[in-house]
Amino acid sequence: METDLSEKTFVVTGATSGIGLAAAAALVRRGAAVIGVGRSPERCRLATRQLSALQPSARVDYLTADLSVQGEVRNLAVQIQTLLAAQEKTALDGLLNNAGTYVHWLTLTPDGVELQWAVNHLAPFLLSCLLLPLLQSAPTARIVTVSSASHYGSRINWSDPQLRRCYNGLRAYGNTKLANVLFTQALNRRLAPAAAVRAFAADPGLVKTDIALKGTPPLVNWIWKIRRSGGLSLAASAAGIVFLLTEPGIQNAPADYWKHGQPRQPSRAASDPAAGDRLWALSERMCGFQLEVNHDSVR
Amino acid sequence: MTQFADRATRPSYVAISGAAGGLGKAFAVECASRGWDLFLTDLSAAPLEQLAVSLRNAYSVKVAVQACDLTDAAARANLFEQIRASGLHFWALINVAGLDYEGLFYQQTSRQIQTIIRLNIEGTLDMTHSLLEYRDPLQVFRIINVSSLAAFYPMPVKATYAASKRFLLDFSRALSQELRGLGVTVTVLCPAGMPTTSACIQSIQAQGWMGQITTCDVGRVANQTLNAALAGRGLVIPGLVNQLLQTLGGLVPAPLVAALIGRRWKSAHQKRALAQHLVESWPAVPGA
Repeated sequence: METDLSEKTFVVTGATSGIGLAAAAALVRRGAAVIGVGRSPERCRLATRQLSALQPSARVDYLTADLSVQGEVRNLAVQIQTLLAAQEKTALDGLLNNAGTYVHWLTLTPDGVELQWAVNHLAPFLLSCLLLPLLQSAPTARIVTVSSASHYGSRINWSDPQLRRCYNGLRAYGNTKLANVLFTQALNRRLAPAAAVRAFAADPGLVKTDIALKGTPPLVNWIWKIRRSGGLSLAASAAGIVFLLTEPGIQNAPADYWKHGQPRQPSRAASDPAAGDRLWALSERMCGFQLEVNHDSVR
Repeated sequence: MTQFADRATRPSYVAISGAAGGLGKAFAVECASRGWDLFLTDLSAAPLEQLAVSLRNAYSVKVAVQACDLTDAAARANLFEQIRASGLHFWALINVAGLDYEGLFYQQTSRQIQTIIRLNIEGTLDMTHSLLEYRDPLQVFRIINVSSLAAFYPMPVKATYAASKRFLLDFSRALSQELRGLGVTVTVLCPAGMPTTSACIQSIQAQGWMGQITTCDVGRVANQTLNAALAGRGLVIPGLVNQLLQTLGGLVPAPLVAALIGRRWKSAHQKRALAQHLVESWPAVPGA
């Protein structure tokens, strides 16, 4: 039985295509208000039209931000706050950290951070922390970060976490997906006890997306096209993620890592609290930000 | 006594030109991760400031920035005056700033050709000359000049650029001998094309498999070059394939090398020009 979401508002990053757009569509169909985030104003306009066509009464807004740039993540958090205030809302019910990228060559952002580390890990970390007061104002709220099975077999090299000195695109991708799980667990530890805000990491499964087709060499394109041919549809994968964002029954579930609506065991490296705390401290330093959890506002 | 106190509170810096670009940024991040204080310069101030804020946060180092158009002699004089006034001292200089307008010589404007010479040669020489004056007398001064694998061959389609990089290669080797015994080392870096901008990545892909095997990531190049400079090595060619190419290039007569490279680069250049033409002439696909 699906709960009605007509009073709820969700932020979805990377919401102009792929899993993000499918998840936004599922939320909108159930009456939720959605604030989508994309990089291109053009694709944001297109996605707004697509979602509004699904549910003409739904509230759909898109904000543009390049999540590889920390300044734009900070600016995005302010814009979300402003948008909610303009709609006379004081709370946010969920954040879906879905935006992710893959690059073959080492690429440094304007902040001097490796691109996948910046987009796949630091952006979810910073945006979640910045939106936490809004999420804590809701009766219950969720932070869902899209991780991946490629976190299995990954291990963060603490002397070079971004792999700058010996870059390999796939290893860097796996590392950021491991970071998503570690971050989720570290966040839950900081929010506990009796947290109204709960974080989950989602394994979307192998999905038919274009992630490895954007600016990658022909060989990588070809391999990905073969791999994804056995993949899941976007809607099916998105359903498992929307479940984590909306299902009331799992607020206090012990598992942090889920696939298709079922709890899964993440890798041993992803279950190490010491690694999570180390990653948290590193991420705070890299963002020049320190989270102070205000337990008083937790209901 | 005051002198010691002064030095303790005034550590010396690593100066990097072209610090907001792909390789310059990789050098800046690598130096910062090693805990070295930085002085960064590039054409415009905003990207430098942004990088500086992030490096200060992430690595707890001091980062000074000063924008400068190194192609302009007056701007350079102003930069050196600022450095003098700030009282900064340096133990390393990494000359990364350099550019190319890829294309056939007769299709380039004379302004483009002048800019290549002014930045790649005049800018590098002037920086080196001035910063030697502000070097920290207590430490070995490390100079890294970024040349190119193109320095080893006459290169059609990159004629002026390759020759300017040849200048830097020979200049660096000569300077290294001049300064031997004065506590100054000169390391010249000769990398193949690196995937720093989308144009560079396109250029690497236009070369096909040859582009793939000759390409090294900027992070690895920066790390390897800094290690080489600290060890006082004179020449760094990142990548085994590139070292092989350099050796082979030395065995074959220059006109033949030029002809071979000319064929490869001209076809790569034509492929890119054609792709560009198709992209521009194609009607925009709605919803693509």
